[in-house]
Amino acid sequence: MKAGRILATAWENLTQRKLRASLTTLGVVIGITAIIGLASLGEGFRLEIRERMQQGFELDILIVIPGSFTTGLGEFTPDEISRVRSVAGAAFTTALMTLPKARLSNEDSEPVNALTVAGVNISELAQMLPERLTPIEGVMPSPEENDTVVLGYKACFLNGTTRLVNVGENVTMQIGTPPLSINRTRRVAAILGKSGTSGITNFDYWAFIPTNMTIDVMQGEEAYNIILVKVSDVEQSEQVAQNIEAVFENPYFISILVPLAFMRQVDRILNIVQIFLMAVASISLLVAGIGIMNIMSVSVMERTREIGILKAIGAKSRMVLAMFLSEAVLIGILGGLIGTLTGYGLSFALSYVLSNFIQPQQSVTFGTSDTERMSIDPVFSFEWTIIAFIFSIIVCIIFGLYPARKASKLNPVDALRYE
Amino acid sequence: METVLKIQSIKKAYRIGKILVPALRDITFEVSEGEFLTIFGPSGSGKSTLLHLIGCLDRPDAGEILIEGVNVLRLSDDRLAELRLNKIGFVFQFFNLLPKISALRNVELPLAITGMPEKESIERAKEMLALMGLETRMHHRPSEISGGEQQRVAMARALINNPKIVLADEPTGNLDTKTGWEIVQLMKKLNREKKQTFIVVTHDPHIAETADRIVYLKDGLIETIKEATRSN
Repeated sequence: MKAGRILATAWENLTQRKLRASLTTLGVVIGITAIIGLASLGEGFRLEIRERMQQGFELDILIVIPGSFTTGLGEFTPDEISRVRSVAGAAFTTALMTLPKARLSNEDSEPVNALTVAGVNISELAQMLPERLTPIEGVMPSPEENDTVVLGYKACFLNGTTRLVNVGENVTMQIGTPPLSINRTRRVAAILGKSGTSGITNFDYWAFIPTNMTIDVMQGEEAYNIILVKVSDVEQSEQVAQNIEAVFENPYFISILVPLAFMRQVDRILNIVQIFLMAVASISLLVAGIGIMNIMSVSVMERTREIGILKAIGAKSRMVLAMFLSEAVLIGILGGLIGTLTGYGLSFALSYVLSNFIQPQQSVTFGTSDTERMSIDPVFSFEWTIIAFIFSIIVCIIFGLYPARKASKLNPVDALRYE
Repeated sequence: METVLKIQSIKKAYRIGKILVPALRDITFEVSEGEFLTIFGPSGSGKSTLLHLIGCLDRPDAGEILIEGVNVLRLSDDRLAELRLNKIGFVFQFFNLLPKISALRNVELPLAITGMPEKESIERAKEMLALMGLETRMHHRPSEISGGEQQRVAMARALINNPKIVLADEPTGNLDTKTGWEIVQLMKKLNREKKQTFIVVTHDPHIAETADRIVYLKDGLIETIKEATRSN
């Protein structure tokens, strides 16, 4: 019998037992729905996390510090910085000097929220992180304007409405503990926009002062303690980090934060979580498979006589096998198609619920309400759809194979006698 | 006339629980092309078993079956299926039509199995049903037509592939006398016109006697083989 005819016959047989066929198919639909739903939602979740991480960590920026991240001791010499600048793969390099024990206060002697005071070449930093260093008020000073300071957004506000300083006003900087402290008064040249990230490049609580001025207050010492390196190719981040290590006499003296490596690690974890979710979803498909096996075994028993007749009039075992397997395959195709659609539906519904009803706790210290808001959009991958679809058919074939083989191996005489 | 079927010392036993029950002890006979043969005997004599063996639905424990000179016992199951498809037509006591498809589809089924294009096979099935006088019944399901009509549908199915041998297992056993007789007459007619060999199993002596030859079977052995005494 021709394949098309076998499929048509299988379809007829299924439609003759509508309730049974639909219930069996429903099992497959649920399995595929779970797989597609979780896969697309999981992918959306992964993208959301990746996006957030990209907001928090500029992926193309390597952060080099002396010592380790837990004990960030020591400093870089200008010579070391110039060696880092010439490293292969480093597109752009700038160095920062953070001032220890620096406190800022406004004209009314109220403390300003600048938690970190750093000496930078402000134009270099702005060039490297243009989005992070966009002033909402004032104008970015040139590196030569030594009497200026640039403040992060939250350094200027007590809360959303109460201001501590305005552009053009002076702030007093006290470095060290009195009576050995040094005081300098500087004009606020610009206030930066809200970073809105919880990453390392959140400058909301920072105050930037020109490098020269820092060297001045540090009594001539050029104590750079952060180097930012923008890589020319993000994918080469790890290689560039190695290159940077190589320019130091003692590579253990420094630590390099490679955001890409961190993200890859998170990606790996998300992958594992996703595989786990898919495995759980696959169980429901296996259950559906067992349902198919069960119902087909019953069907073979009921249709024993029919099988006997088919064999008596000349049908080969292969044909009987093909007929029953076709029924399983049709269930798989139908279940796969419907399951894909409902799976997409499910992921939309779930993403809607996650995005609108489950709000994360608002973080007071970092971030803003807009960035904390979850928005997971399901991502439909064509490959996943195909894989789920094929998986559905394969499961149906595997579980349909046993009853179909049983049918095909029936002895025609015994089958004809079966009542 | 040419021998179309040769049965050589075939034996067949069935195992019922632990006991081996012999159904056929030692059967030998030949059938010529175009012959109308009946196998007659009481129930349990092994008639149906013999017919199943001739029809390649089962294999004997010993002996040889030659259809057109080919020892069918040496053939694989697939080749036997081909043989059933192309050379043998079956008519059963309980018609054995597929209940969920129309008479036309039932008749067309063997052609579909051969892989014939549907248009052609349907056309031929219609012709065959017309030959059986069932033009008006072809779109009915088996349950919607009478027993006699069902048996004619079954005959149409048996004959659709133009087989060498038509085997009928108590074809009238489930029909009233009049209808049964009509079926036998139809078979006789086809036998005469198409020169197909008919082997009919029956326990009805009237039907047995319509044959060219009668094989009398008892307890798994051939009691006698009788030539027809009168022509029909």
